[in-house]
Amino acid sequence: MNDAIHPLARKAVIWHLAVTALVLILMMIFGVIMLMNQGEMISITPQWFYKIMTAHGTGMVGIAALGGTAILWYFLSKYVKLNPAILIVNFVLFLTGVTMVLIAIFVFDFSDGWTFLYPLPAQSAKMYGAAGAVFFLSGMLILGIGFLLLYMYLAARLTAVYGGIGKALGWDIIFRGKKGYGPPAAVVATAMVIITNSTALLAGATVLAASLVNIMNPAITIDPLLAKHLTYAFGHIFANCTIYMAVIAVYEVLSEYTKRPWKANKVFLIAWNCSTLFTLMIYTHHLLMDFAVPKWMLIIGQVFSYANGLPVMVVTAYGALMIVYRSRMKWDFASSLFFLSMFGWVAGAIPAIIDATIVVNHVMHNTKWVPGHFHTYMGMGVVAMIIGFMYYFNKTEGNQQHRGIDTFTITLYFAFFTGLVGSFLYAGGISAPRRWAEHLPQWVLSDQVGAVSGIFIVLAAIIFTARFFAGLRSVGTKVPYHKKSAAG
Amino acid sequence: MYQLIAMYATVFFVFLLALAFAFVYGESKRSGEYSAIQEKGYKIRKFYFLGLIAIMAFATIMTLGRLPYDRNQAEAEGFSETKVVKVTGIQYAWEMSEERFEVGDTVQFDVTASDVTHGFGLYNEKMELVAQTQAMPEYTNTVYYTFEEPGTYQILCLEYCSTGHHVMVKKIVVEPEGGSSDE
Repeated sequence: MNDAIHPLARKAVIWHLAVTALVLILMMIFGVIMLMNQGEMISITPQWFYKIMTAHGTGMVGIAALGGTAILWYFLSKYVKLNPAILIVNFVLFLTGVTMVLIAIFVFDFSDGWTFLYPLPAQSAKMYGAAGAVFFLSGMLILGIGFLLLYMYLAARLTAVYGGIGKALGWDIIFRGKKGYGPPAAVVATAMVIITNSTALLAGATVLAASLVNIMNPAITIDPLLAKHLTYAFGHIFANCTIYMAVIAVYEVLSEYTKRPWKANKVFLIAWNCSTLFTLMIYTHHLLMDFAVPKWMLIIGQVFSYANGLPVMVVTAYGALMIVYRSRMKWDFASSLFFLSMFGWVAGAIPAIIDATIVVNHVMHNTKWVPGHFHTYMGMGVVAMIIGFMYYFNKTEGNQQHRGIDTFTITLYFAFFTGLVGSFLYAGGISAPRRWAEHLPQWVLSDQVGAVSGIFIVLAAIIFTARFFAGLRSVGTKVPYHKKSAAG
Repeated sequence: MYQLIAMYATVFFVFLLALAFAFVYGESKRSGEYSAIQEKGYKIRKFYFLGLIAIMAFATIMTLGRLPYDRNQAEAEGFSETKVVKVTGIQYAWEMSEERFEVGDTVQFDVTASDVTHGFGLYNEKMELVAQTQAMPEYTNTVYYTFEEPGTYQILCLEYCSTGHHVMVKKIVVEPEGGSSDE
């Protein structure tokens, strides 16, 4: 049991996880509906397809951020005293923003994608009415403000406790030759996320506000290329940071299970500093096909997208392998998912890095190769970390036990997720475009494989979620018989 | 070609990764002293790190010389004459200054959009994506392509541009060298 976490924050973590679990299932169902439509197994109108696509894209990133926040807060509480009110404010603003986004999509027919590329919202506002675009953009803005407040608060706390964000990232060890280890991994990761996500949110707020102004007064315009930069600086970094929040659980839990410390040595700190820098820069690989962008910037997009794979491949994933190697660790739901999530993260980075190569991007950009790679590290990486944390939470704060059905569900989830991402990557390889409501006959088979895989993934998610809610009943009601550790 | 390389490279590297995870999972049932594992692990990591850097450097050097928007590249390959074609994307159609081409034509597509951002995706007769760029309002992106095979090519919109995105398709004909026999 994490005694350091405030009881109210513990409750807020439960709310975060409960909402995450339920929304995940809904978003997965949306994903399956899209695949079934592309695979000609069902028929929905293109308008409905794109509305569902908008909800799926926005919802998945948002919910991964919510789950990641729960993980960050829970483990950071062990090292830094935190005021639960901030977490609750973020939760309320998140729900407010999400409600507005859902109203925009399902009441006012907004369907411009999570990318809402300027001037598309203004164009849609002209055709379908302004309410949808205004609700969507304002909802995203409110949601972003909630996260920005959270990061500002966390920045203040890290500054108070560790003497600054730089020190929390180990700069005194890297640059000033201070001996020993840096702060705990949860602190280092939080510092990284504060820097990168605050930048992302400010970029997002700028383009969202500018788009809203443009809708209200079309005479006030922005440069479409600048708007695209700001949109991807927002979306790519924000989506990326969900991993950097969730991975805190991997550091904490694998370390606990193996009884081996995962300390922030100099290499670890350098890696996280590199991730901070690269995560800010590599969104430019979304603009590799915008030839109006200066050539040097596109080349940077390729080189640093490659480089951004190195910290995870060489330090975090390798560290996970090293810590588990000959550890006689107990394999249960949490440890299995955290171990597999590292595989998912790196496995997703491989096609991502390949796609960041300009000559490859030239024939694969905006094909299904792209959702292929990010579904790998989101579904088999971030979501696996969040689900693993749900179990860990219930086990540590309650008395959940690993059962045979958990092994079955993990196998089901990962086997069919491999089928899903395999179908996406294959479809990308045969040039099937992404974000198309209807597909040509030669693309349909891959959609059908994806849809069937998706159905089994939803089934696994429902079982995970049922187990999570069943396990919640014991949280806080009695002293867990596992004593102080989930490692058993 | 690049699609195949991407697919095979992904399968190869993911397979290696899976082997590494499977090996460690198998070894997790045994016990070992962690400081010794760390010492050996860090040594291996140095080579692994350098290996990754070498692969990435090789890929960078091999590919940055073939950037798709580099006119010098097209000229270096002997394409002395290019046909300049103006392309404009508009919800939900492609307007082009010229629509018929011959095998051997090197075409400079000057691509823009008159409303929102679209994606210019050039597909050959086998529906393989052979070239693309973004069609953006207020900007012109130039992409070069040399038609080497006759047939019906298609331009598909590859950037989501609202609910008619998937119908934004235009067919263009590439005739054999010397023009079609029926003309």
